[in-house]
Amino acid sequence: MSSWIDYTVNGIIIGNIYALLAVGLALIFGVSRLINFAHGSVYVVGAYAGFLAVTHLGTPLPVTIAIVLVIGGLLGLVIERFGLRPLQGYAHIAPLLATIGISFVLDQLVQLFFTPDPRAVPSSLLEVRFQISGGTIGALDLVIAGIGLASAGLLYYFLRYTRLGWAVRATAQDRDAAQQMGVDVDAVNRTVFAIASGLGAVSGLLVGMYYNYIDPSMSFQATLKGVVAQVVGGVGNVPGAIVGSLLLGLVESYGIALFGTSYRNLFAFVLLVIVLVWRPNGLFASKRQTPPEPMTGTFIAPSKPVHIPAKVLAGAAVLAALVPLVFPHPYVLQTLTNSWLYALLGLSLTLIAGTVGLVSLGHAGLLAIGGYASALLAIKCGVPVGLAILSAGLIAAFLGTLMAFPAFRLRGHYLSIATLAIGEIVSLVILNWEWLTRGPIGLSGIPPLSLFGMELDTDRSIYWFTLAVLVVLAALQFRLLSSHLGRVLRAVRDDDVAARSYGIGLNRYKALAFAVGSFAAGISGGITSHLYSYINHETFNAQLSILALTIVILGGMGNVTGAIVGSVLLVGLPEVFRVAAEYRVLIYGLVLLLLVRFRPQGLLGTV
Amino acid sequence: MPVIHRRLFLGASAALLLGRGAQAEPAKGEPITMGVSGPLTGPNAQYGAQWKQGFDLALEEINNDGGIKGRPLTYVFEDTQSDPRQSVAVAQKFVADPKIVVELGDFASPASMAASPIYQRGKLVQFGFTNSHPDFTKGGDYMWSNSVSQADEQPLSAAYAVKRLGLKRIAVLHLNTDWGRTSKDVFVKAAKGMGAEIVATEGYLPDEKDFRSTIVRVRDAKPDGIMLMSYYSDAALICRQLKQAGVTLPIVAASSVFSPKFIELGGDAVEGVHTASRYFPDDPRPQVRDFVTKFKARYGKEPDAFNAYAYDTIMVMAKVMREFGTDRKSIHDGLAKVKDVPSIIFGKATFDPKTRRVDGAMNVELVVKDGKFQLNDPKAAAR
Amino acid sequence: MSMLEIRGLTRRFGGLIAVDSVDLDVAEKEFVSIIGPNGAGKTTLFNLVTGLDEADAGTVKLDGRDVSGFSPEKLAALGVARTFQHGRVFANLSVLDNILVGAHVRFKSVQPAWPGPLSLLEPFAELALALVRPGKVKAEEAHMRQEALAILARFGERLLPRRDNPAYSLSYANRRRVEIGRALALGPRLLMLDEPTAGMNQTETAEMQALIGDLKKAGLTIVLIEHKLDMVMQLSDRVVVMDEGHVIANGKPSDVRNDPRVIEAYLGHHRAERTPIEEAAE
Repeated sequence: MSSWIDYTVNGIIIGNIYALLAVGLALIFGVSRLINFAHGSVYVVGAYAGFLAVTHLGTPLPVTIAIVLVIGGLLGLVIERFGLRPLQGYAHIAPLLATIGISFVLDQLVQLFFTPDPRAVPSSLLEVRFQISGGTIGALDLVIAGIGLASAGLLYYFLRYTRLGWAVRATAQDRDAAQQMGVDVDAVNRTVFAIASGLGAVSGLLVGMYYNYIDPSMSFQATLKGVVAQVVGGVGNVPGAIVGSLLLGLVESYGIALFGTSYRNLFAFVLLVIVLVWRPNGLFASKRQTPPEPMTGTFIAPSKPVHIPAKVLAGAAVLAALVPLVFPHPYVLQTLTNSWLYALLGLSLTLIAGTVGLVSLGHAGLLAIGGYASALLAIKCGVPVGLAILSAGLIAAFLGTLMAFPAFRLRGHYLSIATLAIGEIVSLVILNWEWLTRGPIGLSGIPPLSLFGMELDTDRSIYWFTLAVLVVLAALQFRLLSSHLGRVLRAVRDDDVAARSYGIGLNRYKALAFAVGSFAAGISGGITSHLYSYINHETFNAQLSILALTIVILGGMGNVTGAIVGSVLLVGLPEVFRVAAEYRVLIYGLVLLLLVRFRPQGLLGTV
Repeated sequence: MPVIHRRLFLGASAALLLGRGAQAEPAKGEPITMGVSGPLTGPNAQYGAQWKQGFDLALEEINNDGGIKGRPLTYVFEDTQSDPRQSVAVAQKFVADPKIVVELGDFASPASMAASPIYQRGKLVQFGFTNSHPDFTKGGDYMWSNSVSQADEQPLSAAYAVKRLGLKRIAVLHLNTDWGRTSKDVFVKAAKGMGAEIVATEGYLPDEKDFRSTIVRVRDAKPDGIMLMSYYSDAALICRQLKQAGVTLPIVAASSVFSPKFIELGGDAVEGVHTASRYFPDDPRPQVRDFVTKFKARYGKEPDAFNAYAYDTIMVMAKVMREFGTDRKSIHDGLAKVKDVPSIIFGKATFDPKTRRVDGAMNVELVVKDGKFQLNDPKAAAR
Repeated sequence: MSMLEIRGLTRRFGGLIAVDSVDLDVAEKEFVSIIGPNGAGKTTLFNLVTGLDEADAGTVKLDGRDVSGFSPEKLAALGVARTFQHGRVFANLSVLDNILVGAHVRFKSVQPAWPGPLSLLEPFAELALALVRPGKVKAEEAHMRQEALAILARFGERLLPRRDNPAYSLSYANRRRVEIGRALALGPRLLMLDEPTAGMNQTETAEMQALIGDLKKAGLTIVLIEHKLDMVMQLSDRVVVMDEGHVIANGKPSDVRNDPRVIEAYLGHHRAERTPIEEAAE
C-alpha cells in the first residue's frame, strides 16, 4: 500500500528532526558522560533567538542560523562552566540532576520574558514542495536533512581526523589518561558543549520554522525525544544517534499507523525501556561489557546525618498535631495537609532513591496508580474509602515493583531515564485505557475521605488523618532503617558488587524496597484523589516527580526527617509566600541546582 | 506585554492591601472583591493573561459607572498554574477570607473540580466560566458556569458540517483532553443522528506538533471533510500539515480556534477553514461593537473568545450584585434569579437553576477568507 | 579431593584472552598465592571463581560440587569470601555496620528460607521480622554485634575506636582492614584476598602480613593475589604464577622463585614490566 511509503517517509522526516537534537546530546555524552537535560532549553532559547532575529531584524536565513549558532554556543559555554564543571568527579547522576534544574530555570526565564503564547516563525525559504508518494516534502525538510547530515558528517570528520577531535575522543574514553597525556580536558569539554549547544539552538530555530510555531514549553518534549533517540542508537555514539532518531521516528509513525495517534508517545517510551533493559548501551554496542567500576551508580553524598533524638521527633509530631487547635486557619491547615501528602511521597522516594540508591524520576506514576486504584475501588466497587486507600497502597506496591523490575539491572542515569520513561508510560496508559479510567475525561465524583463510616469533612479531621498516616509510615520507616534489613539496603546502594559478594541478592532487596516505598506513594495518591474528588491523567505529572526528588535531596537522601522537613519547606513556603507564585518553578530549578552543586547531602545529611 | 500585566497584578494586590480599587475610578468606598483562581504561570499562562484583559476592561466600565452601588468592584488573582494542588489551597484561602464574595475560575476543569468540595462546604460560589466539563456543575449548588457546554455547542457544529456543508464522511481530530473528548463524543453522536458517517477519530496530546502520520491515517479512511476539536495553536499546526500533505478537503473547526493567533500561526494554510463563534468582532450588535472598540483602544488588538468570556463574567457578577446584594449568599441566590444579563456570548444570559449553566449561546458561522475571519457566505460553502 | 578445583577456566574479551584455560587446585587449609605481572588475568580469575563474571569455558568445583556460573550471592552462602583489588567498602555505613553486612549470610533468623514457591513470600517475612523483631531476632542481632566487635578487636586499636564512624572517613589502610574484617564476618571456608596490601607502606604491610598469618594458623583456606613477593614467599604453601592469561608455574615458593620462565615473565617482557623488587617497594 502506498500509505506505508508515506508512513515511512514521515517517520524519516520526523526522525530527521529528532536527529538534530540527538546528535547534540550524543556529543555531550560522548565527552562528559552526562545526559544533558538542559539541551531542550537551549533548543527553546535558539528558537526564540531566531524568532527575534527574523521578526525584528529581518535577517536572511543563513545569517539567522549563524546568529542562533553563536548564541547557542555561548549558552552552552555558560551552562558548562557554571552548572557542570564544578560537578566533575561526582557520580554522573549529579550533572543529570543539575541539568534538570538548569532546564527549569531557563524554561521559566524564557516564559517570563516572552509569555507562554505561541509565536509564529516565518520561514524565508520558498514554499517549494516535492511530491513523494502520497505526500510532499518541502524545502525546509531538505534544509533540515542537509544540516543534520552535514553536521554529522563534519563531526565525524572532526572527531576522526583533527587533533582536537582526537582529544575529544580520548577524553571520552578515559578522562584521566587523556589528562595525563596532556590533553586540556576542560578545553575539550567546553568546545564540545559549545558545538553541541550551538547545534541544539539551530535545531530549535529550524523546527520552529518548520512548524511555524514556538512556545516555551516545547523544551521538555524535545529533551525527552532526543534522549530516547540517543539511547536507542547508543549513548555517546554520533552515527548511532542518527540511526536511533530515524528508528524512533519510524516506530512512532508505524505506531500511529497501526494504533492511532494517541499511542504515539507510548511507543516512543516503550521503545526506550525495551532498549535500556535489553541493550543498555544502545542497539549498536557489543553485548558483554567488562564488570562495572565501584561507586558509579547513584547520587550519594557521603555525610553523617544530623542526629535528632527520638524524643525531639516525638515532640515535633505532638506539636504538629496541636496546630489545628492553636492555629485553626483553614488555609494553614490546607497547606500543611498538602505538605504531609508530599511528605508521604518524599518518604517513599527517600527510601527508594536515598536508602537503596534507585534514583527514580518517574515517581508520580506511583501516585497515579494509587490515586486511580483507590478512586476506582470506591466508585466502581463501593469499597469503603479507608479500605480503598489501603488497597491502593498495596496495588501500587505490586504494580510499581513489577514495572520497575526490568530496570533494576540498570545503573546510574540509565536507571533514572528508565524510570522517567516508565512514569510517562503510566500516564499514557491511564490516558488511553478508557474502559477503565475514562481516559482524558478523568474520574469525578470520587467519594470524600471517610474512616469507618465517618466522613472526614472538616479541615481538622483531614489534617489529623493525613498527619496520622504520615507519622505511622515514618515511624515504620525509621524502624526499618535501624534493622539489619536497613543495613542491607544501604549496602546495596553503597556498593552493589560488594553487596552481591556477601550474599545480598540485588533484585530481591531492590524489589522489597521499591514495594515498601511504592506503598507509601500509593497511599499518598489515594488520599489525594479522595481529597480532590476529581483526578485525571495529568493530576500526577512529571513535574511532580522532579519536585519529589528535589524534596528528597533537600532533606538528605535516605533521611526520613529530612523528607518531611523538605516537603514543608518546598511545598509549604511557596504557598505561604504567594507573591512569588510566578517564580515557583524557577525557584524549584534553582534549589535543585544549588543543592546538587553545593550541598548534595541536603539539610539533614545522608542516612 | 508581560510587564503591563505584572504591574497590574501587583497593583491589584497592593491596592487590595491598601483597600483601594485596582484602577482610579469615581466609585469610592470599601471595594467588593472577587477571588480569581487561574494560571498566571505554567503551560496555560496565556489564558490567564487573556482573562485579565477581559476583566480589567469590564471593571473599568463598571467602576466608571458608579461601581456596585457606589463601591468599586475589584479582583485578586491567585496563580494556581491550573494545578489542582494549588487551586485547592487557593480555595481554602478564598473561603477563609471574608472579603472574597465570589470566586471566578479555575481555567482547567481538573483544577476547578478538585477545589469544588471546598467551595461547596464553604458556601462560596465557584464560577468556573471556562469549565465546560459536563460534571463541573454537578459538584454542588455553589458551582455555576456560563461556559457553553459541549452538549450545546457540538450539535451546532454537526448541523453546520452535515447540513450546511453537506459532508457525509467526516474524520474527526480531537485534543485528547476532557474538553476534546467530550466535544468529540457529542459531535459524533449528533452527526450520526443527522445521517453522516464518522470514518475516523484521532485523539492527540496537547503538545503534539507532528501530525503527518495522523493525516495519512485520516486520508486513508477517505473522508469528505475534516472536523477539528482543537485549540487555535494545534488547529493551526494541523491545517498547515494538511496542506503540505496535499489534503484539500473542507475543514470545520471548533469555536475555540477563533482567535487572531489561528491565522498568525496557520498562515495561508487556514484559508477556507470553517468555524463558528459565540461572538464575532464584526457582529453588528451594539454591545459587541462597543466591546471590540474599547478592547482595541486599550490593548491594541482584537479580542478573542477568552477575553469575551472574562468580560461577560464580570458583567454577570456586576448585575447579580447590583440587583441582589454583595454577600456570598445573595450572590448564590441571585444567580438563580437573575435574568437577561447583557452578554457578548449569549446576547442575553439567564441561568438554568437545574444545570446552573446558560442555554442558548449565540452562533455565528465564520470562514477564514483573505487572511481574516469573515461571516460565512452560503454560496462559498466548499473550499 | 581439593576444596577448590578449577579446570580449563577461560574468559575472552573480544580478541583478547584474559584467562586462558586455567587449571588450579586448592586443598583445605592450604595457602595458595597467585602472582604475575599486571594484566596477567589474576583478578579476572577471581571474578570468574566468585561469580562476578561469566566464564566462556571451564568448570569450578567447590568441595566436589560444580559451582560454575553460580552467582556471587550463592557462593557467599557457600562460604566463599573475597576482598577487592581497589578496596570496596560500604562508604556510608559505619565500620561496625560494614562488618555486620559481611555476616549477612549468617543472619538466619531474619532470613527465613522457605521451600519451592513459598520462597516468593520470603521478602515479606524479612520485612515483617525487621519491623516486629521478635526475641530471636533481637538475640541474634546482639550476638552478631559481639562477634563483629571481636573481629574489629583483631586489628588492635585501628578500627575498634572508630566503629561508629562512616567508612568513607577512614584512611586507606583502615578501609582495607575493614574489608578483611567484613570477609571474616562471613565465616568463610575459602578466603580470597586481592592485593590486600596494595598502597600500604612497610609497617602497614607487615601488620597485614601478621594478621593473614594468624588467619592461616587458625586453619582458614586462603587464596592470595599479591605483588609483594617477600610476603608471598613467607606465607604461601604454594605459589601459582600467571602471565597473559595462563599459568606458567605452580609449585612451592622456593621452586617458583627460581623458575626461569617466571623471571622472564617479570623482567624480560616486551611490555617492559617493572622488576619484582620495584613492585615490592611500591
